[in-house]
Amino acid sequence: MEHVLTQTTWWAQFKKQQPVLHLILWILVILTFYPFVAMLFMSVKDNPQFIHARWVPTLPMHFVNYRYAWQAVGRYVWNSIFTSGVTAVGVVTFCSLSAYVFGRFEFPGKNFMYIMIIALMMIPGVLTLVPSFILVRDLGLLDSYWVLILPWIAGGQPFGILLLRTFFEGLPGELFESARLDGANELGVLRQIVLPLSAPILGTLAIMNVTGTWNAVIWPSVTISSNKYKTIVFGLWGFQGQYYTSWGPLNAAYTISAIPLLIMFAFTSKLFIQGLTSGALKV
Amino acid sequence: MSVWQRLWRTKHLYLFLVPTFALLLVFSYFPPISAIYNSFFQWDGFRERTFIGLQNFRELFTDRVFMASWKNLFILLGFNLLIGISVPLIVAEMIFNVANDRWRYLYRLFFIIPMVVPGLVGTLLWRFILDPNVGIVNIILEAIGGPEWRQPWLGSPRTVLASFVVMGFPWVSGVNVLIYLAGLQSIPQEIFDASRMDGAEGVSRFFRIDLPLVMGQIKLLLILGVIGGLQAYQAQLILTNGGPGYSSMMPGLVMYQEAFSYNRIGYASAIGLVTFILILGATYINMHYVKSASDITG
Repeated sequence: MEHVLTQTTWWAQFKKQQPVLHLILWILVILTFYPFVAMLFMSVKDNPQFIHARWVPTLPMHFVNYRYAWQAVGRYVWNSIFTSGVTAVGVVTFCSLSAYVFGRFEFPGKNFMYIMIIALMMIPGVLTLVPSFILVRDLGLLDSYWVLILPWIAGGQPFGILLLRTFFEGLPGELFESARLDGANELGVLRQIVLPLSAPILGTLAIMNVTGTWNAVIWPSVTISSNKYKTIVFGLWGFQGQYYTSWGPLNAAYTISAIPLLIMFAFTSKLFIQGLTSGALKV
Repeated sequence: MSVWQRLWRTKHLYLFLVPTFALLLVFSYFPPISAIYNSFFQWDGFRERTFIGLQNFRELFTDRVFMASWKNLFILLGFNLLIGISVPLIVAEMIFNVANDRWRYLYRLFFIIPMVVPGLVGTLLWRFILDPNVGIVNIILEAIGGPEWRQPWLGSPRTVLASFVVMGFPWVSGVNVLIYLAGLQSIPQEIFDASRMDGAEGVSRFFRIDLPLVMGQIKLLLILGVIGGLQAYQAQLILTNGGPGYSSMMPGLVMYQEAFSYNRIGYASAIGLVTFILILGATYINMHYVKSASDITG
């Protein structure tokens, strides 16, 4: 008994703070972040600093590297923002239209058509890469913005429709009846009632699509050949060989490729996180 | 009402589906059908196709590179599933047990933030990290065990697959942690209270309560991991192109090279088809033979 009592001193207080748990978690956080932190301080090194001390921060920092990097990959960044942005808008628009009629109406062939769309989620990219390439080549879309937009909007449909249909079905029915009594047609109801109520889920869908297309490498690598249309992430692959000796600007370019997504994350972290976990619905 | 009457009444609804189906017909339904069709032909993508029946498939199973690529893939997939399913579970369990609400939120956030860095950048950074001469992994290994501890990593057939497993250390995948945390948070508090009464705490609680109740999440990650893993080859395409020799060749990469380096569209389509069938089979087995908590209780 005495022994137990003496334990309720500073030691018990200390144990209550879960020191071992926090220590392990902090070590994991540091190890997880290290490659990216290393990227940050490598991005402001000149070549001698890089060669002699690449794994630790050094002074002075050469922020001019970012100007060199931007000169090389700035265009790619705009290409990515444009193609990922247009794709996301297209996915959200077309998915909303389809999910709305699937979720709120009955019509002949509805279930068959829905299953035909959802079944596409079973088709993996490894089966379709080669024939998709032949297709866009024969359509004359190679090396254009179209090839980074149209197939991606199509690819985003099955999951987007699944996600939005479930949400639209859950909206309270009275809202629709009162709107219809006011004389609104289907498109009006979609625009005035459904979409405003669905802003968060539409945002989640848009963000999921932006992150997906932003990170694409394999599809651009077979369909895009001129610098004019390269996306930033795909562009970095070529950048490696081209600027092999300028390590600082190379890492600055790596950093630049993550900044737009980081900004998006900062402003929409809740939707972003939702998007990450609802991707799990994809099965 | 007859079908035709109902069709007539609802005809304007079909207009809403036109954009989706127009895109899907061209870009989503046509390619898989054409992949199956092309797999029975010899075709360079330009000239006339020659029908050769099952010849592509016969060649596949005697193709040493293709067979080696499956062996490599299964080794990688095995390790990646083991690590990708267990490490995030342990981390999620640790975060779940942090008493302080704010810290619980912050740790969750910390493991998600790296997700904004493109996967390709992560891959290229790991090339620096595993560099045989100046990479930090070899610097640390030498400091601990002397020069003989240095490894050639991506440069040797002996260590190249291990390199692809080591990449991503400490393997705390933010998405998987989130999925597990969602599972753990949905366990009713009464169950934890009851288990405490029964004296199940810490590790014993983990095995008796938490683990069975996150089996649904484990099953999910297993299915996602197998589907993604069977067609993964981006990291190999970027870092080794399947080398040295064929020691890091992946089936998807064989397909990529056959199609885009050697113009063997028919043969590449056959590889895609075989991989697709394997993915379907593996997904079916996972769904039907791996039990989750809801299957057991419900």
